[in-house]
Amino acid sequence: MIVFTLLLVLLAVLGAPLFAIIAASAMIGFLSIEEDLINVAIEFMRMEQLQFLSAIPFFTFAGYLLSESNAPQRLVRMTQAVLGWMPGGLALVCLVTCAFFTAFTGASGVTIIALGAILYPALAQDGYPDKFNLGLVTTSGSLGLLFAPSLPLILYGVVAEVSIDDLFKAGLLPGLLMIAMLSIWCIWVSRKSRQVLTPYSTRELLAAIRESIWEIPLPFVVLGSVYSGFLAVSEAAAVTVVYVFVVEVLILREVKFTELPRIVRESMLLVGAILLILGLSLASTNYTILAGVPQTLFEMLSSVVTSQTTFLILLLLFLLALGAILDIFSAIVLVVPLLLPVAELYDVSTIHLGIIFLAAMQLGYMTPPVGLNLFIASYRFEKPIMQVYSATFPFLVILMASVILIAFWPSLSLWLVE
Amino acid sequence: MSQAKLAALFARLDNAGRIAENTLLILVLGGMVAVAFLQIILREVFSTGVIWANELVRILVLWLAIVGAVAAARDNRHIRIDLLSHLLSDKLVKGIRIVVDLFAAAVSGIVAVYLWRYIQVEVELEFTVLDGLPAFPAHVIAPIGFVLLSYRFLILAIKQLIELFGSNAAEESAT
Repeated sequence: MIVFTLLLVLLAVLGAPLFAIIAASAMIGFLSIEEDLINVAIEFMRMEQLQFLSAIPFFTFAGYLLSESNAPQRLVRMTQAVLGWMPGGLALVCLVTCAFFTAFTGASGVTIIALGAILYPALAQDGYPDKFNLGLVTTSGSLGLLFAPSLPLILYGVVAEVSIDDLFKAGLLPGLLMIAMLSIWCIWVSRKSRQVLTPYSTRELLAAIRESIWEIPLPFVVLGSVYSGFLAVSEAAAVTVVYVFVVEVLILREVKFTELPRIVRESMLLVGAILLILGLSLASTNYTILAGVPQTLFEMLSSVVTSQTTFLILLLLFLLALGAILDIFSAIVLVVPLLLPVAELYDVSTIHLGIIFLAAMQLGYMTPPVGLNLFIASYRFEKPIMQVYSATFPFLVILMASVILIAFWPSLSLWLVE
Repeated sequence: MSQAKLAALFARLDNAGRIAENTLLILVLGGMVAVAFLQIILREVFSTGVIWANELVRILVLWLAIVGAVAAARDNRHIRIDLLSHLLSDKLVKGIRIVVDLFAAAVSGIVAVYLWRYIQVEVELEFTVLDGLPAFPAHVIAPIGFVLLSYRFLILAIKQLIELFGSNAAEESAT
């Protein structure tokens, strides 16, 4: 058994597709407890019973559609009109627009590609130091993870079988905390550089509003209907697709019909890859529960770890290491089912655990060696990867501090839920 | 058949496969949006609804997942721990990729066999979906998808094998 596990870990590190690793581990597991392998098929097909799963393809497609239109430019202009006059204004614009955009596109690297291309040169033009800009844009690429309707939030809700509406509420304050802490750093840095402040202009603000008039209702439609309980998450997602399609394709016509097959394919490749891993992880999770792994894990832990504080410290260390090697989607479907019962015994609520999990995994996007944002930024802005590492480092430290705050301050996550 | 003709045949096959995948993805995604959206309209405006609409959407999610996964394999976009490609030489990475892709092909093949057995059980026990329709036509996409996944990873491995060792073959097919 141990030999097989080591072999699978080796194959995973060598770059085997994760779905195959997960499927193989489930099969080896079932064989080891003398269960028929048809269990893998039964569990995979259970994917069909999961509620709200349709929200994932809907929001992903809507996000890709938005990123193909000129909505990113309009969003930047809008935010600039609101925040641009402040010290460190453009840096704040970068944080806010990226967070907003990532929430809608599901933290798949689209943000750096769609918004980074606009913001990175603009930051340089305003006189911010290059290293700072690179770090800022790289960090911002996954900033909106805790805001509705980000894919990781929905996936966590599906896997942990917890109310996605509650998760949407829970992520709000911790997400804002992250932005606030990064903003302070940005203002601090820009104090030294002599960037030109853009004076506030009501005329520019009105022009920006007029330009974005079709997109401004979107967050209210999505968030309003979910927060008020008027629509289920999957329904709000369907409304979002229809709304975005009508605005960008039919009214503004910024996305042409001939481009749609490519956009559908691009977005559904991501969905297919995530859902395949999800379906097969149902099988591997079923095995681990049959084999009593969560109990064993807890028994091992409880002899060493006696307080909630120690548990949270260990959890954070574990998640940071996990985030450095595994992408957020695989991490959710594989690790969350194992963590849930353990966390419960240490009195960490499922909602709070979700926020800690995602916040810590967000750091994984920018931790060497495999952080996705680092590579996308290195590729997109043609910078050596080592330079991206060092540019991102101060931001990483700040985010790490925010994750620690989020972990040890449960009411920050739970306040809006209760 | 000469190698040039073989290459042309594969290019045509690839193109046809791509079009088939895109068409299915558009139809399934479009269908899902339509059903989900109409259901909201029916409920909020006409205070009525179709009982099996939710189930239909969930079946379509399964189809979308499978077709999307097969398409992702064609474009080599499945999620991997991408550590080595930044550290090792191109040639070594290709060699390793052959091994891990053959592994993925084998695993997908085994999963396909058991999904097929699951379908057989469904037929035997006359499982139903959507208010009394037989379940197997809705689910048979799963074993088919895994057969295609297995095939795709086999092709990926062969392609890398050719790139690695068969530069002669590539030159011949180019002429």
